[in-house]
Amino acid sequence: MEYWNPYTETLPREKLENIEFSYFKNMFSYAKTHSALYRDKLKGIEADDIRTVHDISKIPFTYKEELRAYQEIEPHPYGGLLGVDIKDVTTFRQTSGTTGKPVYVPETYESWQWRIESWCHILYMAGFRHRHRVFLPFGYNVYVAFWEAHYASEKVGCEVIPGGALDTKGRVNKIIEIRANAMMNTPTYGLHIAEEAMNMGIDPKSLGIERMLCAGEPMPEATRRKLEDLYGCETYDHIGGTEVCGWAGMCKVKKGLHIIEPFFLVEILDRETLTKEVGEGEQGVVVITPLGRRSFPFIRFNTNDVVVKGHSNCSCGRTSKMIMEVVGRADDLRKIRGVLFSPKTIEQLIREEFTDIVEYEIVVERKGIMDEITLRIEATPKLGKDDVENLTKRLKERSKVKTNLTCKVKVEPQGALPRYDLKAKRFKDMREVENDG
Amino acid sequence: MMDEIRKEIRNIEKSAERLKSLAKDNNAIRKNAEIILTYLYILKFITPVWGEEDQ
Repeated sequence: MEYWNPYTETLPREKLENIEFSYFKNMFSYAKTHSALYRDKLKGIEADDIRTVHDISKIPFTYKEELRAYQEIEPHPYGGLLGVDIKDVTTFRQTSGTTGKPVYVPETYESWQWRIESWCHILYMAGFRHRHRVFLPFGYNVYVAFWEAHYASEKVGCEVIPGGALDTKGRVNKIIEIRANAMMNTPTYGLHIAEEAMNMGIDPKSLGIERMLCAGEPMPEATRRKLEDLYGCETYDHIGGTEVCGWAGMCKVKKGLHIIEPFFLVEILDRETLTKEVGEGEQGVVVITPLGRRSFPFIRFNTNDVVVKGHSNCSCGRTSKMIMEVVGRADDLRKIRGVLFSPKTIEQLIREEFTDIVEYEIVVERKGIMDEITLRIEATPKLGKDDVENLTKRLKERSKVKTNLTCKVKVEPQGALPRYDLKAKRFKDMREVENDG
Repeated sequence: MMDEIRKEIRNIEKSAERLKSLAKDNNAIRKNAEIILTYLYILKFITPVWGEEDQ
């Protein structure tokens, strides 16, 4: 069977949108009566005021700063974000806190199973089935990463191997030992495992991984294809987050990501005014309402993620709204010398055209009155001095073409740049550090 | 077929609620009945009918 839930995944758009509108109104009423945040925030707006889908835009966005503020009240540690009695909470999760104090996320048995059900769609459309022995090369902890993947794999019928408490070499050996044939990882760590395997004299293709689902970072198409080439496997992407759950996945057509409907109402709004839905092929900011999760209700959460909106007629037959591409966090887009710069452009370039670069980092600094970008790179050890010089020259030229900005290139010795197993931090804007300092 | 499925979900829901009330003094049975109800919440969520989606 092609679909996890053939009924909801192939419903005509109009019907799907009507169902989501109805679910939205239910969740609006629920949040208003069960969450202190929304009791305050939605004062003066009633469910009956939301008569058509257009009325949704009258409801204010929810921002991460509000979540942080409302969790400070009782009951500790979730405060006014809680949508259920605290005695019903069964699991604690938290955000990474990279942009401030972490947000603590309460899950009940019900809300957690709801998340898992949503995740099953992601796995199933990426082809995960009973026959897969899935290796998760991480130690799971207070972050949501890989917990959903673990439980959804079980529910779909896969066999799951938790791969924590091992170094990368140990994980390569474990994959071989147990003959894992599927894996879930960040794109960065997928590349690193392949690199480590090659250092051990093992061709990553011989590991027998036939299917890979990536998470945790925006994955340019070139990186996805590189992982497919390295492992000789099918590689898929998905989008999710601690607060909002996994909300979009990639089908076998691999042309964009399907929003998991009717689990989520996803609005993709123009970046300037955040008032209107963008058209196909246009960039917009993602605003999400999970439609059935009662432990931690939130309405119109502004994720600050920028995506390109896709069409809704994928050849796989799913009727869901689609994301063509994840551009990145709105926070990651920077004005440098008056030009809008996305770190993802550099990743796409390196993965596509510079396969001899094994690791890189982008550093932006202010030198006098000028902003300066330096691309720190590590080249594969097989390159000679002339090859490295040639590579440096080409990277300078190509990065200028791709970004409209001049970038310096600095070649680092082997192992000088950090490797990451979870979210990679390859973009360092030192101008902010200077301003903060 | 979806009508039949929804009807069956409602039947199971009634049974699970009854089981839960019968087992007020038995933690194990009550908890397992509650878990059935959790999955019924999800089953209802994933089998919506336009106009009847109230949870």
